[in-house]
Amino acid sequence: MKPTREQSNGLGWALVTPAVGVLLLMTIFPALYLLWASFRRFNLMTPDNAPFIGLENYRNIATNGDIRYSMLVTILFVVAAVGIELALGLLLALMLAPKSRSNAAAATLLILPMAVTPVVSALVWRELFNPNYGWVNYYLRQIGIMHEPIAWLSNPQTSWFTVISLDVWQWTPFVALILMAGLQGIPPEPREAAAVDGAEGWRLFWDVTFPLLRPFVAIAVLLRTLEAFKTFGTIRVLTGGGPGISTEIINLTIYRTALQDFSVGAAASLGIAFLVFLSILVPQMLRILARNSDLVEA
Amino acid sequence: MKNTQIGDVTQTESKGVTRRHLMMSAVAMGLSLPVLSKSSVSAAPRTALLRQDAEKPASLNMLYATVEADVEAIKLAIPDFKAETGIDIVLDSQPYDALQQKVFAELAVDSPYYDVIIVDTPWTPALTGKLEPLSGYVTNEALNDVSDPALDDFIEKVFFDTAVYNPTASHLQFPDPTGIDVEAITGEGFEIYGLPLQANALVAMYRTDLFENADDMAAFESEHGRALAFPETWDEFTDVAKFFTRPDQNLYGTTLMPGNGDWATDDFKTLLAAWGGNGYMVSDDFTLAFNSPEGVDALTYYASLINEHKVTPPGVTSFSWDDASAAFTSGLTAIGMNYHTEVLAPDVQGNITYALVPEKETRGPHFGTWMLSVNKASQNKEWAYRAANWFTSGPTQTKMLAAQLHPSRKSVYEAAKTDENATKFGNFYDILGQSLALGVGRPRLTNYGAVDKEIWVAVNSAATGSMTPEEALQSAADKVKGLLQEAGYPVS
Repeated sequence: MKPTREQSNGLGWALVTPAVGVLLLMTIFPALYLLWASFRRFNLMTPDNAPFIGLENYRNIATNGDIRYSMLVTILFVVAAVGIELALGLLLALMLAPKSRSNAAAATLLILPMAVTPVVSALVWRELFNPNYGWVNYYLRQIGIMHEPIAWLSNPQTSWFTVISLDVWQWTPFVALILMAGLQGIPPEPREAAAVDGAEGWRLFWDVTFPLLRPFVAIAVLLRTLEAFKTFGTIRVLTGGGPGISTEIINLTIYRTALQDFSVGAAASLGIAFLVFLSILVPQMLRILARNSDLVEA
Repeated sequence: MKNTQIGDVTQTESKGVTRRHLMMSAVAMGLSLPVLSKSSVSAAPRTALLRQDAEKPASLNMLYATVEADVEAIKLAIPDFKAETGIDIVLDSQPYDALQQKVFAELAVDSPYYDVIIVDTPWTPALTGKLEPLSGYVTNEALNDVSDPALDDFIEKVFFDTAVYNPTASHLQFPDPTGIDVEAITGEGFEIYGLPLQANALVAMYRTDLFENADDMAAFESEHGRALAFPETWDEFTDVAKFFTRPDQNLYGTTLMPGNGDWATDDFKTLLAAWGGNGYMVSDDFTLAFNSPEGVDALTYYASLINEHKVTPPGVTSFSWDDASAAFTSGLTAIGMNYHTEVLAPDVQGNITYALVPEKETRGPHFGTWMLSVNKASQNKEWAYRAANWFTSGPTQTKMLAAQLHPSRKSVYEAAKTDENATKFGNFYDILGQSLALGVGRPRLTNYGAVDKEIWVAVNSAATGSMTPEEALQSAADKVKGLLQEAGYPVS
């Protein structure tokens, strides 16, 4: 006899229960636990002494100048890095989109930076930018661009340059590959029609190609932004948040608070505040990026 | 399922699992898990009497560091421990950050998995409630059948700084760290929480070949009216460092470590102590000592080496221990300062001699020592103590010299004078032993990591010139005061 709809529903729910259990254990429960901890003065070593302190942890976030600074530099880092990656990625995509054997080979090589672990790439970058032994200073001096060695990690401006350049090197290919896929998927007819009407060069790109590419730009920017906000290993290894606190992004602060000071409550509040910020930011980004573009079609 | 016919509509009452039931159960389960998990945590620490005839386990689990505490030395000794006792040591070694997280996570839940744990001094104030007090063990003859603790053989300053804490007020330093007497220790309300092993202190090193170059010796004497020698004082240090600063020859006077990290705090507190300040930086009564006039003067001098006298290599303000080591061993500087032996790069033709860091009013090089402790939740505490005792014993530490262990015992420094494993590094062990006798440790704060960070930021800011030393230290003081209050310390 064929099972009734109710029997099928019950069986279905029973079958997903293990997966729901894992989801609860790995995601829902930790999130709820963090929320609980964020309202307490909770240190890992004194779990039995975690008094409820209301919004004090959150108040501290709002009033602590160093935390506010960390949040600001995180946002600035993301804007700068993603902006540069988008520009360079688009350029690369335009160059490599036409199908040819050499372009296919170049596109394959593009994947290499993304395959390198961020910590390893940061270690290599640190050596490349070493003012005494690094290749960067050596070749800059060889070609006469500079005469005195630049201490790249000793100055806030050059430190940020080093951090952003690493992120750009590693993740521009990611943006380029998404945009390449978009360019290769654009039908040729609109461009041919526009060309017949006399459009060419920049006008052809801006008025015809780019609007069709916009959904892919939106995807690339959204994904890179979310990933950039999660940057940690790169900056931890490259600058350690220095010089001073000039490159102390919020993830470093959360790491120190949680895993070096073991102030679980304070770290939980930082994490949740960051989550709330991203929860507000991402829909706004989607609204702006999706304007006049159809992400579903993409 | 119950079906009810109402007109043409069949209403079904499901008594099986519904979506709503599932979600409500999930939320209830999630909220109740903190309560359930506490009761499922491993056994609470035992406070049973010492069991002199405790059953010998087949193995003991040891949680250890990597290069920071010379794990190769431990690996060297493990077969001997097995031969002596028949017990396998299951060694789990972790790099520093991962080790700290593992130590704290294991001890926080009273996990009995690890029997013996290596503990670094900055962690101990937060861990005294989780480590087994050893005063009853070191005085129990039956438990010292494998090796003699010989407490008086430990370097006193190292022993008291590393292992002796007040269980109810872990911020206090032992009042009179002269002569290791268990009764005196417990009489003052303190306890012994481990046995020191890898003892590190800041030592200086210099290129003997440069200092003994005839032309340089003549030039220096002509310029300064005294013989060229490794400086005894920081004032002399400036002259010597400037003398060897020759950018056109890719040679600089000295390394320093003002990069973002604990190394910058350690550099600063060494000078703070030398300038006559309190090298602990925070007193037992929570008075901040690092932003004192001595601290400002010390940091001003430190920054002047970089910005005014320019005796350090480019990029020094981002230097860590490793960068300083690389700079010295590659021949970039004539003088270095670090916490271990150095070996010059193959393409650098030279020799290394070690020296005490210079003095101003006095000497107070930073030191910090690891200790082997017994997990309070261990099921094999008596044998875990025997293991800690054996690995830190004189004969074992002497054998570990082959892996460049930094000993914690006076007898081992004596043995090092003729042990070729030690003498191949010249006078390093002699200088290390002397430095440990003069060393100044860290303040005993449960949140030392956060305090450390504020101080290193101040040191780095002064070193880069982004803040004056006074501004930097005052800014750090304001933040440290807040941190101490957050940690529950009674800061006035």
